[in-house]
Amino acid sequence: MAAILKAENLRVEFRSREAAQGTKVALRGLNLEVNAGEVFGYLGPNGAGKTTTMNVLLGFVQPTSGAASLFGIDVRQPIARQRIGYLPELTYYYKFLSAEELLRFYSTLFGLSRLEADRRIDELLKLVELEHARKRPIRTYSKGMQQRAGLAQALINNPDLLVLDEPTSGLDPLGRMKVRQIIQRLKGEGKTVFFSSHELGEVETVCDRVGIIHQGELKVVGPISEIRQPRHANLEQAFLEIIGFETQSAS
Amino acid sequence: MKTILAVAGVVIKELYRRKDFYVLFIVTMLICLIMASVRIFNDDKIIRYLKELCLLLVWVSSLVIAITTTARQIPAERENRTLLPLLAKPVTRTQLLLGKFLGCWLACGIALVCFYLFFGALAASREHQWPLLNYFQAASLHWFMLGIVIAMVLLGSLVFAAPSSNSTICFVVVGGILLLGRHLDSVALTLPEPVRSVFLIIYYSIPHLEFFDVRDLIIHDWPLIHWGYYGLALIYGIGYMVVFLTGASLVFRRQSVN
Amino acid sequence: MSGPRIQIWFLILLLVVCFALACPLQSRFVAWPGSRANGDVFAITLGESRKLFANEFFVKADSYYHSGFYPTIFDDNRAFKTAHMAEDTGAVNSQNHGEEESFMGPPRNWIDAFGRHFMPDRHTHLDEGGASGDLSGSEGVREILPWLKLSADLDPQNVQNYIVTAYWLRQRMHQPKTAQEVLLEGLHENPGSCDILFELGRLYAESDHDTNRAVNVWMAGLHNWRPVKGTEDEVAANNFIYEKLATQMGAEQADVGNWQAAIQWFEKAKAVSKTPDGLQQMIELLQQHHSIKPKP
Repeated sequence: MAAILKAENLRVEFRSREAAQGTKVALRGLNLEVNAGEVFGYLGPNGAGKTTTMNVLLGFVQPTSGAASLFGIDVRQPIARQRIGYLPELTYYYKFLSAEELLRFYSTLFGLSRLEADRRIDELLKLVELEHARKRPIRTYSKGMQQRAGLAQALINNPDLLVLDEPTSGLDPLGRMKVRQIIQRLKGEGKTVFFSSHELGEVETVCDRVGIIHQGELKVVGPISEIRQPRHANLEQAFLEIIGFETQSAS
Repeated sequence: MKTILAVAGVVIKELYRRKDFYVLFIVTMLICLIMASVRIFNDDKIIRYLKELCLLLVWVSSLVIAITTTARQIPAERENRTLLPLLAKPVTRTQLLLGKFLGCWLACGIALVCFYLFFGALAASREHQWPLLNYFQAASLHWFMLGIVIAMVLLGSLVFAAPSSNSTICFVVVGGILLLGRHLDSVALTLPEPVRSVFLIIYYSIPHLEFFDVRDLIIHDWPLIHWGYYGLALIYGIGYMVVFLTGASLVFRRQSVN
Repeated sequence: MSGPRIQIWFLILLLVVCFALACPLQSRFVAWPGSRANGDVFAITLGESRKLFANEFFVKADSYYHSGFYPTIFDDNRAFKTAHMAEDTGAVNSQNHGEEESFMGPPRNWIDAFGRHFMPDRHTHLDEGGASGDLSGSEGVREILPWLKLSADLDPQNVQNYIVTAYWLRQRMHQPKTAQEVLLEGLHENPGSCDILFELGRLYAESDHDTNRAVNVWMAGLHNWRPVKGTEDEVAANNFIYEKLATQMGAEQADVGNWQAAIQWFEKAKAVSKTPDGLQQMIELLQQHHSIKPKP
């Protein structure tokens, strides 16, 4: 299978605000490939480097060294983002716009025609169950509704690759279930999904492969079964073992 | 261009869906109407004080709208994290900045049209004349001045983290230029070196916004500004807008998004 | 007693104390010389600092008189030391000298030269048609009145406000009654002011054609006049109004044929005048025409 997301030897250093601390290394020579049509779960504790990886892949942060590409195009080129959809964590969309206006705005950025945009907007609002609230300003939406509106904007260009940063964080169980259903539906449509999460159960349900990152290093990559079997444990136990939780507590 | 216009469209929608503009417009209208109702020495033909007051309020309001609207654009995108999905689309940072600039400038243009129409109606009700070309020159130069201010504030919003500090600094700078910009070289001559050189450098590098303040043209019915000089002033304004936007683009390109 | 009840009683007690204190304090406050309680809105909000604003508005009126063509503090304003709108009334001692047209001097650099295309560029007076130069529109001088009114409201002790306002109301707006009201208001604020009495006399003489009343008012002005000790400008301004009053009296006496009395008034005016030659010529002319021997 062809890799549509590729990171090669990525290293990201941030200058710390306090001079005494020097620089902070967020990613240490990260190598990662995500293949077309798979759902890839990107796991790691807080501060492990998940969001930094996504930021580099989306061109928000310049890597100190190494390279990243989407569909074979350098991520620094805006055209590399033509076929992707991105849902960031905890985003408060333009409160003065309605969901329909928000989606129309993003559709214009992808250069969709009026007719195509109308069709996509109708489809997506139905998919994320926001049809009834399409004309209402986003400021009147609940958190779950806002997250679903965010998911709709990520899908407006019918992307081949979907990058989701903790898509279920802050949602109630019903909201999580709905998001999970949408991801599974996208998987069924053959889309590639690259998403980060703390919810290991959710990852286990929807992912083909996972990667576990800790302290800026990718510790393990592979199908969930391959990660669990050698350790004779469930994903949560395997995850804790990989990030060295047991070792730390023992010491 | 479609991308820039789409971003600009959102900015314009934001302006007319927020209450700031309406509050300023209504306050301006109320103050002017109250002042217009005052009869001084039983003479209802006295108009220039009213024109001056109304234009002063229009200038203050337009600057408030331009500075506060622009100053919150990028910081609000950062704070609400809408910058992330926006830049995850095939949009360059320069396109985003140009869209924000165009949106704020057009929004201010729409606000100016409303203000000047009200002002024109008020003045015409007493003067029974409407020197359209004078109004056109004054309003268009005013709009171009706002363009420079908006570009400057956009650059400021990338340099200063808090919109409030950016707004305050920009208000002080714009007010200072309008009041003292023309005389900075005279002030410099009274100062010892090296302060004199610093003042002269500032004098030659700041945008001279006072060129665009031609309120006397409509208050005191002065003849029109020569169209050649009018055109040069517009080019001068565009030049400074390009300078500030280029600076903003260079700063923005080097910044991490979050 | 429970806590909240104590608090309520304490609150009531405080209210009673405040009310009891307010009664004696109110009368003392009103009687206090520095109290703003009896003043208008400007006096209450701005206090004595309103006089600073008053001067700004007076200058603003003169700027309007020039349709905005006016020097700033950075320009050579020697020709604008005395407001032209006041100077043109003939009732104010002028301290102006220098060029009126070129107060900005030659352009200092290209920015200055370019900027001058965007500002008023001719010296005009509103009573002469203003920027349009249309003399039929000389009533445009009305535009200075709001600022003068504001200036007078802020500083009722500045007599120039009343004189200038009344003069233009009378001369260009053809409102002698309103002008008289303005002057009487000024007299109320500045009892016995020689300047206001001079202008009031002119109003009676020129607009009402009531010479007797004018002479009485001028006589009152002369009676109130006292020499002052102060700066050169203050002395000159004080002498100027005496000269104007005495000259008016001289002219009135000459009109009714009292040549001797007229010469006496002109002599008095000459004694304080900065330009006595003109008055001397007048005196000599009267002496020649009416064969009056000069006083030894």
